[in-house]
This record gives sequence, structure tokens and C-alpha cells, in this order.
Amino acid sequence: MAKDPMRVLVTGAAGQIGYALVPMIARGAMLGPDQPVIIHMLDIEPAAEALKGVTMELIDAAFPLLKGIVATTNAVEACKGVNVAIMVGGFPRKEEMERKDMMSKNVSIYKAQASALEQHAAPNCKVLVVANPANTNALILKEFAPSIQEKNISCLTRLDHNRALGQISERLKVHVGDVKNVIIWGNHSSTQYPDVNHATVNTGKEWKPVRELVSDGQWLNTEFITTVQQRGAAIIKARKLSSALSAASAACDHMHDWILGTPKGTWVSMGVCSDGSYGIQPGLIYSFPVTCEKGEWSMVQGLQIDEFSKAKMDATAKELIEEKALAYSCLN
Amino acid sequence: MAKDPVRVLVTGAAGQIGYALVPMIARGVMLGPDQPVILHMLDIPPAAEALDGVKMELVDAAFPLLKGVVATTDVAEACKGVNVAVMVGGFPRKEGMERKDVMTKNVSIYKSQASALEQHAAPNCKVLVVANPANTNALILKEFAPSIPAKNITCLTRLDHNRALGQISERLSIQVSDVKNVIIWGNHSSTQYPDVNHASVKTPGGEKPVRELVSDDAWLNGEFITTVQQRGAAIIKARKLSSALSAASAACDHIRDWVLGTPEGTWVSMGVYSDASYNVPAGLIYSFPVTCKNGEWSIVQGLPIDEFSRKKMDATAVELSEEKDLAYSCLS
Repeated sequence: MAKDPMRVLVTGAAGQIGYALVPMIARGAMLGPDQPVIIHMLDIEPAAEALKGVTMELIDAAFPLLKGIVATTNAVEACKGVNVAIMVGGFPRKEEMERKDMMSKNVSIYKAQASALEQHAAPNCKVLVVANPANTNALILKEFAPSIQEKNISCLTRLDHNRALGQISERLKVHVGDVKNVIIWGNHSSTQYPDVNHATVNTGKEWKPVRELVSDGQWLNTEFITTVQQRGAAIIKARKLSSALSAASAACDHMHDWILGTPKGTWVSMGVCSDGSYGIQPGLIYSFPVTCEKGEWSMVQGLQIDEFSKAKMDATAKELIEEKALAYSCLN
Repeated sequence: MAKDPVRVLVTGAAGQIGYALVPMIARGVMLGPDQPVILHMLDIPPAAEALDGVKMELVDAAFPLLKGVVATTDVAEACKGVNVAVMVGGFPRKEGMERKDVMTKNVSIYKSQASALEQHAAPNCKVLVVANPANTNALILKEFAPSIPAKNITCLTRLDHNRALGQISERLSIQVSDVKNVIIWGNHSSTQYPDVNHASVKTPGGEKPVRELVSDDAWLNGEFITTVQQRGAAIIKARKLSSALSAASAACDHIRDWVLGTPEGTWVSMGVYSDASYNVPAGLIYSFPVTCKNGEWSIVQGLPIDEFSRKKMDATAVELSEEKDLAYSCLS
């Protein structure tokens, strides 16, 4: 007996990340190979024609799992009945733009979309914010959609998490599937803290700590960290465009693991509402290590945090507090 | 026990179609969710940095099935040991360019790639040509790689096939997965003939002919055909870029069904080496209805062909013969 379709919203769907993401959703990468989907796509009026083109291509691909498409520039129509919302749309930072201007534009967007989601999405809709500044956009969304449970609002740091796994696998010349339990703490920005203190590698016989196998503590505390932090810029330099393929894939992984659960013994990184764990100010959207079961995430508690880590975790929290203050000043 | 990885080459991998295609391959869409892959990506030197960016993103996506990435501008290295080759790279037609100029450039490309594939690919490598003019590029490749069995060289008309399924499903307001057995005859160009005379729809009352359910022969013989033939142009008009998402998806469908088999009672369209079936001249790469089993395709034989269809099938064959002559004149 086929399952009922789930409705998945992608905002900014006519853009680069949207174009990479929608075929992944339509093929079952986000919700599983036996979960039919109806894709809702939202973009702004200037992108209406391009959005139509994406709709046409989705039809042309004859995806067996894709049971319907709603493509619109109307936020209400886009949000109606959605079970999952991937917020890719946002105002990109242009050259010469001040941080405050970018924050100002995005704060307005996320305030308006908070409203639409709260009123029209299905109950228990799971929200993933991708557009930067992801954590703060998610915070604004949360603040202006008070009837959406805060546990249902997250931001994407799975891309950074996957990048960290990739860097360790390249360093050790092992398959990326044999590395697990890195952590991305904090903001999806250059202050994020990629932490390998609890990460392990499958040697074939057993899982061993990354720190033991990489034995170059210096590299792990410096170059590894900066490589992961600045990977987005490295991609832009090479492609002349920002990451779309890997961002879309990470968005699928984030939502897939949230809904279908993390494998036993494995955690992932998600930007979620802080409850004061690990000394992080409550009420920020901060990336933590989480496991997922039965459609809910829970923070991995009780991990040892050394001084080096604490300083980095606090620094990224500080940036998030400043972003929050800036965002609120834009609203006044 | 995990399977040995299969090596898949994508040429033109730094371009739009390549960028859509490689994550699909890495997720198992092309060869199945339990088939590990090693991706070989080839592009020209001006695209080397962009290609490196794609490689970085593939590493960043931490795909469990992706066991390696070879990214190169060296065609021998790219072809080495590949089991599947998807030829997306080619010279695009620019405004002001004569047809003969596009043909000349592509003929040289496919002649040299034929050589490299023949010398370096794994035995029984399956080849899919996507770059336009797809049929003629595939023909050139075949002519200059005589040790590759002709049956292993194909071109993509699955995109047109899927587009035809999509148009019927939209017309009847049904799921695209309930429509099957359209046929695309001939050239992947505006002379292709999308034929629904043997197509059927799954209904609660059993399989019914498309012609009966649509009951509008004027539309099926007119607008339906031109819509499918010109769909590529319609996508370009809307997106300002040519189809990538749907082309990549169709390439995956083509290879998957070829390697893993078509479902019972279902055929698909593939551009294959004509053996004079249906009075199509032998020695052209012409799109036929095929079923696939044990890694081999066979043309569906014995379908009744009415006069209307005969004319269209002949017209597209004439165009292919002309393209073949033009291609050969470019080589002299």
C-alpha cells in the first residue's frame, strides 16, 4: 500500500541550490525511496519564468515518486499544507553591501515567511533554514512564528559537518563512510568550530579516535579547522558560484536523518534552538551534535569539552549574540 | 558483501548537465542504491578550475556510495578502466554559427574521444552520447572506435521519451508513472517522432490505449508532437539555459534500465545502431523502442506502423542520413 504523499516546500526554488535540490527530493533522497512527495516551489516575481522552467523540467523527468508540483510566487499558496519547509530563498550578499544591509533585507524576508508558515503549514511542519545568515534567519523565523514549536526550526550545518568528514577522510585516505561523529558547533559562518575530539574512524577491526589516527594535533587544531570554516569561499573561487550540489545534498541528509533517524552510535550536526546545554546561551539557533529518533532530534549530552574547544564554542556564540542584536535593531 | 565499484565517466563534467548528473550518479540513481561508483570527470583545460570545484563539492557531500573521484583534462586518464561513459561534452551551438561549423567541431571531438575510449575503457563499456547532435556524435564515435561493439554505443532520446510521458500525464491529469510505452523514433532533434500508437495508461479498469483515453487525434497528431519536439527550446526560453536537471535524470534512467533491465511489459526509447528494423536505414544511430535484459537492449519488433507514422519515421531518417553526410564531409 503506497504511502500518502508528503508536501515539501523549497523557497528560492528557481535558484542554483533549488535546482540541485528538487531532483534529489523527487528521487527520494530526502524522505526515502518509498515516500511519494508533492513539491511546493516558491520564488519572487522576477524569477517566475525561471520557476516555470523548473516546473517544466520536473514534469519532463517523469519522476515516479513525484505526485504533484505547486510552483508559485505567492507565499500563502506555497506554504499551504507543507510538512517540510526548506528555506533556501534569501537576499544574497553583494559586493559593496554592508552587513547591516544584508541583515536588514533578510530579517524582513524571514519575518514575512514566518507568518505564512505559521498560518498555512501542516501541524508539526519541520523547517530547515539554508539561506545565510542561516542561524539568524532561523532565529527570526522562530521569533515571528511562535505557534511553530521551536524544536521544529533548524538551520543547516550538515554541510560543514559533511565537509569535516570529507577532510578527515582525505587526510587519512579512508572512505568518508568510515569517519563519523565530528561536530560542528555554533554559527554556519567562519566562526564555526569543527571539533574532532569525539570523532572516530572505522579501521576495519574497530572504531578509533580521529586524534589518534591523525596524530597531527597541530593540523587538527589549525589548518583542518580553517579549511572547513572557509570551504564555502574555496568553492566560490573554483566555480565562480557558491556551493549548490553539496548544499542541496546536505539539506537532504539533514532532513532525512531528522525524520528517519540517525544510525545507532552516530550523531550529526544540526543548528537547533539552544537550551543552555554546554554553557551556550539559551534561545540562540546554535549547531550542536544531535541524534534523531522517531522524527525528533536530541542533543548529545555529557561530551567532554576541553579549554581549546570551550574558547571556540564561546566565540561563535558571541558572534550569534551580536547577529541577533543586529537583526533586532533592523526590525526597529 | 559490498559490490566492487563501477567506474563511470562523465565528459563535459564542469558544465550544467554534468553538475546535475554527478550527484545523481553518486547517490545511486544510475546504477542502483547498492552499487558503489568511482566517478571519472573530464573537461577541457579552460574549465579545469571549475572541474576542481565540482570535485571538492563531491568530497564535501560525503556520499556513502562514492568510492573515488578522478577529475582530469587528460582524456586517456579519464577513460581508463571506465565501465560506463556518459558523453556530455561537446561544442555548443552559438548564435551566428552555421550548422556545418557546429558539426565540424563536434565531429573532431567525437573522433578523438572514440580513440581514447577504445584504447582505455574497460571491455564492454557502455556508452551514452548526450551532447548534440547526439545521434551523429554517437555515429562518429562508433565509426572511429571499431573495437567497441556497435551495440554498446547509444544516444539519449530518453529525455524526449520522458517528456512525451509527461505531456500525456498532464493531458489526462494522471500520475506520470501510470503512462507507458510511448516511442521516440529517430533523431534527437525537431524531426523526432513521438508516437503514442502503442502507449497505454494504467486505469482501475486495466491498461487502456492512450489514443482511446485522450480521444483527440488532432492533438495527438499535432500539438502533442510539436510540444515534445520543441520542448528543449521552451525550457531555454523559460530558464535562459538549456535543460540540465531533466537531461541528467534521463541519462540516469537510460543507463539504469540498460544495465538493470526494463520492467516487464514496458519498453523505453534509446538511440541505437540501426539494423534496418522497421525499414529504417541500417548504419544510423536511430531512436527505437527497446526492452533491456541482462545488460543488453533489443528492439521491440512487430509493432504495426500506420502511414502517418511511416512518413514521420522516414523524415527523421532522411535528416540523419544528411547529418551523416555532412559529418563525413567535415572529416575530408
